[in-house]
Amino acid sequence: MRVDVRALGACNRLAERGAERAAAALTDLTGTALAVEVTGVSVAAADGSPAAAAADGEWVGVRVGLSGGLSGAAVLAFDADRVDGLIELLPGDASLQHSAVTEVGNIALGGFLDGFANHLGRAIELTPPQYVSGDDPAAEASERSTDDPVFRFESRLEAATDLDFSIALLPAATPFRDLARGRPRSGEADVAEGAFSAVLGGNAESATEHAEAATTGVTYDALLRFASLAAEGSETAAANIEAMTGLETTVDVSRLRFVPLTDVPAAVGTAPHAGTVFELHGEPSGYLAILFAEPSAARVADAMLPMEPEEPLGEMAEHALCELGNVMTSGLIDGWANVLETSISHSPPEFVHDIGAATVSPLVAALSRRQDYGFVVDATIRTRGVEARCDVYVLPDERELVAVLRRLADP
Amino acid sequence: MTSLTPGEGGSSGRPRRVRVGVGDLAVVADDATLTTSGLGSCVAVAMADQRAGVRGLLHAMLPSAARSRPAAPRPGKYVDSGIDALCTALVDAGAASTRLDAQLVGGAELLDLTAAVGPQNVERARERLTAASIPIVASDVGADVGRTVRFGADGDVVVRAADGFERVIG
Repeated sequence: MRVDVRALGACNRLAERGAERAAAALTDLTGTALAVEVTGVSVAAADGSPAAAAADGEWVGVRVGLSGGLSGAAVLAFDADRVDGLIELLPGDASLQHSAVTEVGNIALGGFLDGFANHLGRAIELTPPQYVSGDDPAAEASERSTDDPVFRFESRLEAATDLDFSIALLPAATPFRDLARGRPRSGEADVAEGAFSAVLGGNAESATEHAEAATTGVTYDALLRFASLAAEGSETAAANIEAMTGLETTVDVSRLRFVPLTDVPAAVGTAPHAGTVFELHGEPSGYLAILFAEPSAARVADAMLPMEPEEPLGEMAEHALCELGNVMTSGLIDGWANVLETSISHSPPEFVHDIGAATVSPLVAALSRRQDYGFVVDATIRTRGVEARCDVYVLPDERELVAVLRRLADP
Repeated sequence: MTSLTPGEGGSSGRPRRVRVGVGDLAVVADDATLTTSGLGSCVAVAMADQRAGVRGLLHAMLPSAARSRPAAPRPGKYVDSGIDALCTALVDAGAASTRLDAQLVGGAELLDLTAAVGPQNVERARERLTAASIPIVASDVGADVGRTVRFGADGDVVVRAADGFERVIG
C-alpha cells in the first residue's frame, strides 16, 4: 500500500470538517459555543487494540462499528481528566456519566463521520454506540490484523475549558486505506477511487495534486518506519543526556502526528514556553524545536544545575537548556539519519522563551513558503525523578523527506 | 475563513469572542471581541469602519502570495492577499472602504535562524495599506517579543506579551 503525504493532507481536511461538525453537534447539545482549535492526524500500525489506538492515558468514550462508505470501527475518546467539564455543560443529572459520555460521544462521532460520508458520497452506517474506557476489556476486543493501519484524528475544542478528544478510525478493509493513497490502481475497488476523487474533487488544484501524487507517494511501510524513527532517536537522546548530566534519563516518544503547519502554533499554545530551536541541514533539511512549558523548563534546568539558579529561567538555566537541547537533538537526528541512511546535521541551539505559539511561528512561516503540513513528535523526558514534559516539533522539508522515504522503500 | 458566525460567550453578558487562527481572517458587525494569539513573525492587521460598526482581523504568516508554493488556497496566509480579502469582507459586511483604518501588530524577529520574515511582513502590510489608501492609526511591531491581540468593539487593540503585560496600542 502506498500513502500520498498530500493525500494525508486531504484526509486532514476531511478530519477538520468532521471535527467542525462534531463541535457544532456539541454546541447544539450543550448550548455552549465550541470551536475547533487543532486537528491532527497520525498514522500507526495497529497493535490489535482499538482502545490503545484511540488515546494515550486515561480516557472514556464510545466505540461504533462502521459499514457502508467506511467499514471497520471508530472510537472516540475524551481525556478522562477533562470530561467532567463537558458533562457539566449538559442538561440533566451529571452523575449519569456513562450515559452522558455515550450520548455526547455518539453525537460527536456521528457529526465527524457525517463529514466523511458527505465527501465519500456514500452513507456510513453505524452500530449502536458502546461505552468504552481505557481499561475496558470490551474495547480491546478486535478481529483486526496487526498489520492494519490506524488513522488517529485528534481535535481540541475550545470553550470554557479546553476539551481534547481523539477519534481513531480502524479500517477493516481497503477503502479507507485507499483514501490515503496517491491514486487508486486500475481495477481496485471503485469505492476507493470514488472516495479519493471525492476528497480532492471540487478543488481547483486537484489536477495538480493528482500529478504531484506521483512524486509524493511513499509506501505505508516507509511512513510507519518514519513514525518509528522518533523512538529510535529518543534512546540515543536519553543516553546523551545521561552522559552529559550523569542523571538517569529516559525520553519517551509516544508518536508522530501529521498536522497542518498553520495549526502548529495553536498546538503549542499560548502559555509561556522555553526551549531551543535548531535548523536541520541534510536530507531532510528543516527545523526542530524542543519546547517546555515554563514550569517544566525551570524544573529540568534546576535538576541539571549544580546549585539553585538565582532566577528560574535566567542565564544559567538558558545555558543548561541549550546544552540539553543540543544533546537531545544530536541523539534524535543521529538515530533518524541511521535509519534513513542519510546524513543530517544541526545548527547551534537558539534559546527561546516567549509565548509558545510565537516561538514556532517563524519556523512555520519559513516552511509555509513551500508546504502546508508538518510533523510533530510528542516526547516526555524524565531525569532523576524530575518529570519534564516537552514537545519536539520536527518540521522537515516535505519534498526532501518524501525523497528519503521513497529511497528507503525502493533502494 | 471569514466569520460572521457566533463565537464564544454571548449568553454570559460579555461580548462573544471570535478567534482568528494563523493564516485566517474574520469580520464582525456586532460587539464581538476579535482575538488572535501567538504572533511571532506573523503580522496581525486590525481594520475597522467604526461608524458602520464593522471590524475585521487578519493573522498573516508571509509577505506575499506571489511566487508562493503551494498556490494560495487561503488568502489569509499572506499579508497582501489577506489585506485584500479583509477589505472585501469588511465592505461586504457594510463598511465603507473610504472610512477604513488599520492597526498593525507583530512582525517580531524572534529567531536568528530564520530570514527576517517579521520585518518583511510589516513592510508588505504598510505597502499594501498605503496602496489601498487605508491609514495606519496605530502599530506595535518588530522587536523580539511574541504578542497576543484583542480587538474590541471600542476599536482599541490590546496587545499582551508573554509575561501577561497588556497595553492598548496607539
